[in-house]
Amino acid sequence: MTAPRSGARRTLAEVSVPSEPGNERRAMEKVAGAVEGLGLPAPTLERLKTAVAEATMNAMEHGNHYRAELPVVIEVSASDAELFVKITDEGSGPPAFDSEIPDLEAKLEGVQTPRGWGLFLIKSMVDEMNVTGDEHHHTVELILHLDDRAEGGK
Amino acid sequence: MAVRHLEVEVRREPGGAVLDLRGEINGFAEEALDTAYAEAERDNPETILLNFEEVDYINSTGIALIVGLLARARAAKRRLVAYGLSDHYVEIFNITRLSDFVSVFPDEESALSGAA
Repeated sequence: MTAPRSGARRTLAEVSVPSEPGNERRAMEKVAGAVEGLGLPAPTLERLKTAVAEATMNAMEHGNHYRAELPVVIEVSASDAELFVKITDEGSGPPAFDSEIPDLEAKLEGVQTPRGWGLFLIKSMVDEMNVTGDEHHHTVELILHLDDRAEGGK
Repeated sequence: MAVRHLEVEVRREPGGAVLDLRGEINGFAEEALDTAYAEAERDNPETILLNFEEVDYINSTGIALIVGLLARARAAKRRLVAYGLSDHYVEIFNITRLSDFVSVFPDEESALSGAA
């Protein structure tokens, strides 16, 4: 049974990046800086960075259509047990992700496009991912269970 | 942080053609990768080796580009080998199953031995 997760959330950082190709790296480095004090194991930090980069890239491309004047806003917060990264763009409706599960053999045979790895990578890198949307924003929330890390979790 | 556009050099080794990759493998890397891969294919080598030692970032678009190279290699019955990946990107090669089709080695010496 999973232990109850409690504790107040504290905001670690709120940053934004213009929607320009390549800025997902800026986003991931800013998040990495924000969580420095949490002492995440290096492999966990690398996974978080990849998830943040992919979610930011999706937000810039599908939410903000790479319009530089539209920012992607990233809020990093933590409780004792969990780390939360919310990535919000200015699109409307549910966030657009390629819903097809990537199958490498199908891609090699030309049945699937070579692309479409973003959502798969995000889900593989974090413990939970929640997506929400309204008329003005999409938000992807990434969650890491911090108490699993010490026990050799993902 | 400025984007480090990918630079690729091609060299010939007894074990195959090596693509020395430097920079980021993302959407900007397509032309450089395609051009270098075509250059590496010119002598019809049995094996093409991708040297990732100086690659510090690969995103999902970069994974797609590597899938494209793998498809080209398989169509030509060529072997594709990778080396110099960080532990994180070895994990990504594993979860995407790229490592089922691309032999992954820690360094050039083992990659060239493995390719022979």
